[in-house]
Amino acid sequence: MIKYILRRILLLIPILLGVTVIVFGIMFLTPGDAAILMLGENAPQAELEALRERLGLNEPAHVQYGMWLVRVVQLDFGRSTRSGRPVTGEIVARLPATVELALLATLLSIAIGVPLGVLSATRPNTAVDHTATVLAFGGLAMPVFWQGLIMILLFALVLDWLPPSGKLGGWQYYVLPTITLGTSAIAAITRMTRATMLETLSQDYVRTARSKGVRQRSITYRHALRNAMIPIVTVIGLQFGALLSGAVITETIFSWPGIGRLAIDAIRSKDFPVVQGVVMTFALMYAVVNLVTDVLYAYLDPRLKTRYS
Amino acid sequence: MATTTKVIPQRRRSWFALMRSSPRTAIGAVVLSIIVLAAVFAEAISPYPPNQQNLRNRLQPPSAEHLLGTDHFGRDVLSRIIYGGRVSLQVGFIAVGIALAVGGLMGLLAAFYGRWVDSTVSFFVDVLLALPGFLLALAIVAALGPSLTNVMIAVGIANVPQFARITRSAVLQVIEMDFVTAAHAAGSRDQRIMFKHVVPNSLSPVIVQVTLSLAGAILAAAGLSFLGLGAQPPTAEWGSMLNSARPFIRDAHWAVTFPGLAIVVTVLALNMVGDGLRDALDPRRRD
Amino acid sequence: MRKVLLMLAAVAFAFGGAHAFTLTVAQGSDVVSLSPHQTNDQPSARVMRQIYDTLVIQTEDLVLESGLAESWEQIDATTWDFFIRPGVTFHNGDTLMGSDVKFTLDRLRDPATAAPGAFLVGFIDEITLVDDMTVRITTNGPFVPILSHLAHTATSILNERAVTDAGEDYGTSVVVGTGPFSFVSWEVANQIVLDRNDDWWYGDVGPERVIFRAITEGTVRAIELEAGAIDIAYNLEPRDALRARQNPNITMAEIEALTTAYIGFNAQKEPFDDVRVRQAINHAVDAETIVDVIFEGFGFPANSPISSMVFGANTDLEPYEYDPERARQLLADAGLGSGFSTTLWTNDNPLRIQIAEIVQAQLGDIGISVDVQVLEWSTYLNDTAAGAHDMFILGWVTVTADADYGLYALFHSSNFGSAGNRTFWSSDRVDELLDLGRRESDPELREAYYFEAQEIIRDEAPWIFLNTQIEAHATRANVTGFVPHPAGHNRLYNVQKN
Repeated sequence: MIKYILRRILLLIPILLGVTVIVFGIMFLTPGDAAILMLGENAPQAELEALRERLGLNEPAHVQYGMWLVRVVQLDFGRSTRSGRPVTGEIVARLPATVELALLATLLSIAIGVPLGVLSATRPNTAVDHTATVLAFGGLAMPVFWQGLIMILLFALVLDWLPPSGKLGGWQYYVLPTITLGTSAIAAITRMTRATMLETLSQDYVRTARSKGVRQRSITYRHALRNAMIPIVTVIGLQFGALLSGAVITETIFSWPGIGRLAIDAIRSKDFPVVQGVVMTFALMYAVVNLVTDVLYAYLDPRLKTRYS
Repeated sequence: MATTTKVIPQRRRSWFALMRSSPRTAIGAVVLSIIVLAAVFAEAISPYPPNQQNLRNRLQPPSAEHLLGTDHFGRDVLSRIIYGGRVSLQVGFIAVGIALAVGGLMGLLAAFYGRWVDSTVSFFVDVLLALPGFLLALAIVAALGPSLTNVMIAVGIANVPQFARITRSAVLQVIEMDFVTAAHAAGSRDQRIMFKHVVPNSLSPVIVQVTLSLAGAILAAAGLSFLGLGAQPPTAEWGSMLNSARPFIRDAHWAVTFPGLAIVVTVLALNMVGDGLRDALDPRRRD
Repeated sequence: MRKVLLMLAAVAFAFGGAHAFTLTVAQGSDVVSLSPHQTNDQPSARVMRQIYDTLVIQTEDLVLESGLAESWEQIDATTWDFFIRPGVTFHNGDTLMGSDVKFTLDRLRDPATAAPGAFLVGFIDEITLVDDMTVRITTNGPFVPILSHLAHTATSILNERAVTDAGEDYGTSVVVGTGPFSFVSWEVANQIVLDRNDDWWYGDVGPERVIFRAITEGTVRAIELEAGAIDIAYNLEPRDALRARQNPNITMAEIEALTTAYIGFNAQKEPFDDVRVRQAINHAVDAETIVDVIFEGFGFPANSPISSMVFGANTDLEPYEYDPERARQLLADAGLGSGFSTTLWTNDNPLRIQIAEIVQAQLGDIGISVDVQVLEWSTYLNDTAAGAHDMFILGWVTVTADADYGLYALFHSSNFGSAGNRTFWSSDRVDELLDLGRRESDPELREAYYFEAQEIIRDEAPWIFLNTQIEAHATRANVTGFVPHPAGHNRLYNVQKN
């Protein structure tokens, strides 16, 4: 098992290196002069040139990448061109808000998605199943940005139950963003749980158990769900990626002080170091979650376990 | 792994049978057809030109004259939604087209030639998959600058890995089949085998992915436009309509509500069709 | 517990007659930095105004008063002596010295600092210390508006020791000024906390604590004010401001800002090199409608390049009348009776995009087909500076409230391109008048020069003169003493809460 985890971590390194090339490349190819962005339109040529020299903007691409990578490996993304703060500090200050939101949304999606999927699968083609399916399809089709606006309109403006946005302490501020962010994950997990449960419930050993008189409840939860967990865990891992993407928009709509909103602000003001830092952070988070998913997967799947233990 | 019993073409169900067996797919297909027709015949059916301002008629609630109300410039929301459908479908198709062309080719080459080609492609795909799709698209648009064209490119690139993966595994299954081996033995050229035999027989999963990716691409493009990084005014596009109507949400919710519903309905229809196609075409999922 | 509180309240009451209170202020953007040398944006300036002082103070009535400079003396056309106020202490306990002033202004000017506000002191040739408390500024040419420049937040006086010790952290975790409030904490993307400076040299400070919050969504900012979660909301969106006006719990604090929105032509490019075309377009654009629709009446159609609040503004100028017939006639006279196609550039500012959409429709009415292009900000600035444009939308804030600032950069032929004159329009007479205005110290003569310059500019129409804006700030009804500043960085020391 440990060998397997180590192998997965080693495999991660070249991938993340590849990501750094993409992140650097994207920003490098961007039109517009970083020096002008930092100094403003009225800056004299001499100042611009001095700054370009200081930032290494006159070096060839691979040298700039090398210099950049050496710093990034030490978790140093430079300073924000806008605020002058160290990017890493800015990300660290805002990361907890994003992680909080993403974890809450994940928990919510599991808490609703798995039972709903099981319910659907154990009562196929009933009203319960159809309702769950319709809800799930609706959830998958719901754009985060629209849902966020509608929730604000309904629960904050019309009903006046919850604050419209911000994170100023108190659980009330968490409700709308969490639901908004979690919706598509709820839907995806419901669908996947239903599908895999149906498949496992129809398999031989379940039929055997049933014929042996094992109680239905025990079959559903002890045997079928455990086996169905493997693909469900995978979907949860994959959903985390979608969740990170959704966080960018959710945070923007709800003025949530996380790194998603930081990314949008940075993109709008062409603050390259911050954009690079945030994208790398997202990639790292995603990689870690996928790693955990894979390890869980291996733990749940006896075949993989025997292969690596 | 693949056995000849899994050859798909012989067992492909007719379109009609699919519709009959799955009402959900049928509903999706009907709704989708209506949306496509509306987009194609937008000039004929929309009650007003999409960008026609009527500043004396701003933020009017739905009425007989304006079925879905008017926006902050007095433009007809219904007309803009109809034209917006054209933009969204276009963006979706082109983005998926890019992903299909690039990703499909990558997957095909990887599976067909194996070895270093395969490992290079696989590495590239893994790297792209290490970034959540929407974030990748966001970063690309951020770099290229806000415009609809750049959104298509960005969303297209973000979808490349899925197509590379799916094509690769589909082609791998086909390659091991007898008729491909036979063609090789008969001395056919690589290209001929690839496009005559392999591609047509690997299409099913790719078609399913196209449908599902279309839904995703439309959502992503609307999301980017919502963030102000996509379609630019006065272009009627669902995401940017939502964005520009935001400040008026307390006075004129219809300008926010209806463009959003349009996205939901379109994506829902595409997902229902895609789901139905997958059930029909994926042998593993067939009863 | 309650007893203690009552006692505290009684003590507070006995002390100066006011109770201790926290004032919560919300604005639309995050603060970028609290170092005046790092940024020159409005949201940051609004917080820095509370922390720092400037040599000269520009009051809400746009009168220049002595600030950290107790007095000053013009020695000759290019030499000014500033006598620094004795006994002023910084928040870190240091006493303000002439050396702090010299350090601050030299650092602001230094290209290595790369300060966005450096251009404000571009007129300075040299700064020397005559003695400990006397700072001599030599200008690189006669420059009468010097005092209003030294009242700008970007020229706020810093503490040399604090800045040097903090290095690159200055402006984020270390912030030291002499102003009415001292820096306490900054929760990124959430709030900035300031505490009362009991030793402020200027006088008493009302609020014991001020919290600045960034609430980006306009609607949400309005709702938080309606709900009483904040005491003051800056810049309500026009729609929300209309609603707030009806709310008995809210007091509006509206003020005409120093901003003018305009669309510039490329006056050296066909067909905009023909004054008749420029005039035609001015007649074809209905600024009244733009004010009504986009700003919901929170603004005025502009009759000149500078807002009426600015010193030297010629408020008697007749604006271009909305008259499509006249416009068509002028176009026909210019040989363009059948119209033409052109482009209008804007950056991704939502209000500007809306203006572009309306102008597009209005010019369509007289046969000019306009393609609106939204450009990314730095590309926008680069390409308009290079003269690659046909028409572009920009705004100009005459922060110093002096006509020199509002006209020199935008209309002097020496400022073509990135320096500010992106229309590439010039007139010998206007050049002459603007130079005279810089030199002349007699206010009446200056005003006369600027009046004439504006008249020529109005007639020659290198711009479509769009509108000035009313900033709709609002407070809860129990807040008193809030006086908005036309330049936007409102001072809060005098605010009370009942």
